[in-house]
Amino acid sequence: MRLHINGETYDLEVATMADVVHHFQLQKGLVATELDGTIIDRDRWDDTELRDGMKIELVQFVGGG
Amino acid sequence: MNDVLTIGGKQFDSRLFLGTGRYPNPFVQNQSIEASEAEVLTFAIRRVNLNSPDEDAILQHLGDKTFQYLPNTSGATSAEEAVRIAKLARSSGLSNWIKIEVSRNDKTLLPDPIETVKATEILANDGFVVLPYTSDDPALCYRLQEAGAAAVMPGGSPIGTGLGILNPYNIELITEELTVPVIVDAGLGSAADVTKAMELGADGVLLNTAIAKARNPVKMAEAVKHAIKAGRLSYLSGRIPKKKYATASSTVNYISK
Repeated sequence: MRLHINGETYDLEVATMADVVHHFQLQKGLVATELDGTIIDRDRWDDTELRDGMKIELVQFVGGG
Repeated sequence: MNDVLTIGGKQFDSRLFLGTGRYPNPFVQNQSIEASEAEVLTFAIRRVNLNSPDEDAILQHLGDKTFQYLPNTSGATSAEEAVRIAKLARSSGLSNWIKIEVSRNDKTLLPDPIETVKATEILANDGFVVLPYTSDDPALCYRLQEAGAAAVMPGGSPIGTGLGILNPYNIELITEELTVPVIVDAGLGSAADVTKAMELGADGVLLNTAIAKARNPVKMAEAVKHAIKAGRLSYLSGRIPKKKYATASSTVNYISK
């Protein structure tokens, strides 16, 4: 399905948010996610189903002051 | 000396909040953190670079030691954006502390006071431990305390400038008037600036560039650790009043001539 992730468009074989995190091989404990403007907590990744055209943000802690 | 700092119900032996940006490499960063004995580390929240996810993921370098993580809302230009970033940070499960940082000026990065108060109010009501970075205005700092800030963090001077404390009068008024801890954040450039902040009654300091960009970050981290202790002890001991003319240290009687 076609997804907009961090401002880029991707065609991915995924069904849930957990699949997306897995697809990019992200470390689960370090990433926070947003789906169409709504934050999705980690314990809901497995049952958050995605649809074509959805917007996803994947963010993490980086160096800062 | 039993002189702990308490914020949001947590106690700290160290009065240093250390930033994690701009170090030459992760090894020097970790050595600096260790030398500083900081217990609170600050971070920013950014999009994962999906072409190279591990590149910026700072936490994977930190090892096993337990720190209090203090993510910031840098990049936010409004209370709304700061609230969004704060909630994303909390959903990481790593921390419910948030440093509010809202700026609408890329040149000075000075905090926007109105948006900062708004964001503080919203996030404090939502259960966050809120530490707003703010300008050094005593009335504004007081309003942030009323809005629910767990600590208030006035800047000494703009972020990354190393200009030190431009308005010591204001910083001292703020430390006198607030009942929540005051952390002097931003602009401190050396151990001397840090000691000055602590002598003005600050409960702690937040540094990043002064350590990360020092010629020797690890040694500067150690210097800052000592500077905090020196300044804190000096503040608690009470400086002498300033006078215009001399007072001899020894009596002038009984001089043999």
